[in-house]
Amino acid sequence: MTTAAATPAEGRSRRGGYVLSGVALRGVICAVPGAPVANSVIAQTLGDQAVADVVKMVGVETRHWAAPDQTSADLCAAAAERLLEKLQWEPDSVDALIFVTQTPDHPLPASACLLHGRLGLATDCQAFDVNLGCSGYVYGLWLAASLIQSGCRRVLLLAGETSSRLVDPSDRGTAVLFGDAGSASAIEQDSAAPTLRFRMGTDGAGAGALMVPQGGFRPVDPDRAFTLDPTRLHMDGGEVFTFTLREVPKLVADTLADAGLAGEAVDAYLLHQANRFMLRHIGKKIGATDAERLPINIDRYGNTSSATIPLLLADDMAERLTAGATRLMLVGFGVGLSWGAVLGEFGPLACAEVISA
Amino acid sequence: MQNLYAGLAEIFEIDASEVGPDTVLANHNWDSLAIVSTIALVDEICGELLDGAALNACVTASDIVALIPQAKAA
Repeated sequence: MTTAAATPAEGRSRRGGYVLSGVALRGVICAVPGAPVANSVIAQTLGDQAVADVVKMVGVETRHWAAPDQTSADLCAAAAERLLEKLQWEPDSVDALIFVTQTPDHPLPASACLLHGRLGLATDCQAFDVNLGCSGYVYGLWLAASLIQSGCRRVLLLAGETSSRLVDPSDRGTAVLFGDAGSASAIEQDSAAPTLRFRMGTDGAGAGALMVPQGGFRPVDPDRAFTLDPTRLHMDGGEVFTFTLREVPKLVADTLADAGLAGEAVDAYLLHQANRFMLRHIGKKIGATDAERLPINIDRYGNTSSATIPLLLADDMAERLTAGATRLMLVGFGVGLSWGAVLGEFGPLACAEVISA
Repeated sequence: MQNLYAGLAEIFEIDASEVGPDTVLANHNWDSLAIVSTIALVDEICGELLDGAALNACVTASDIVALIPQAKAA
């Protein structure tokens, strides 16, 4: 009588996986600040050779940086206004606003409340922030889908970051890698929509691998010697890379197994744009090596944290997604350490574009 | 281990004949980028994920080789 463990098909054998139905993505708009910033600008601080060494690995050629008075909420507001206009959604038809960011306008209130006011949403619309980064877009979709299953009809998911404010310009590991962007996605109740399969996880023991040590309410250990400004982002690239190689191929395989699908059945994998070398390596492991099935845009936008997956949807995938339906797996992973994947048919979208803010 | 040495030569941008067990990593810019590349290299060759901190502590190429059976045992 070796039961549950021996028969994985039975019961809740694989934890962390969820199926949701009746939820449709209608459109995605991204907003990037200003003109693209070339590597030569960063080389003025770090030197040509140091920048060239990092670029060879991470693959970033240009990125956008927000102006000093421009925030993640500003970028997301610009994207959301365009999205509402394109979809012809009246502001008071939105039931919930979720804002995923690690660079809010203020310690309090939640920037989602400020965005609610700016967008003129109804007073019976809920609004809240979610503090997640690279995995945040998948978590945001999961939350939006869950709200819809709880009775909401229309949800705005805003996800954006101004990581340029968090990096230490003298740290070549992060100064070259990160870019700024905001996004807005429209999610709507639709009983005819195909099923979405989510899978999420966390490894809090690895939280120190990506951290801004100072700026919250926990005092910093006065004896701790920092090589970088403690109010800026500290990233242990080796740890993050090992974590990604350990968890992401497994996450992809488990999500496919939940759906009973082979990898070839997925039209494209939209992976968080962490680092080009890492993406290509994972691509080989999951059997997606061409631009059609593994789009990469880190060369143009850098790593924009929770906005990388919406940037893939609104840029590289825009034509395919506005023309028809396509089966995608969206995979986010990073700070937390936290990860999430969603597999399903997406499209046709009413709009998918990148605007300047 | 010839694959590993050839891969390290590629990471260090030197000729494969110049890399062997006694190669001193510090002479070839053994930094976080080289370590990340080596993690990927070892994963590709034998499907083992080495620890970044352990790689950081390696002095010679043979120290990297020595980590691989440990990764298998773990």
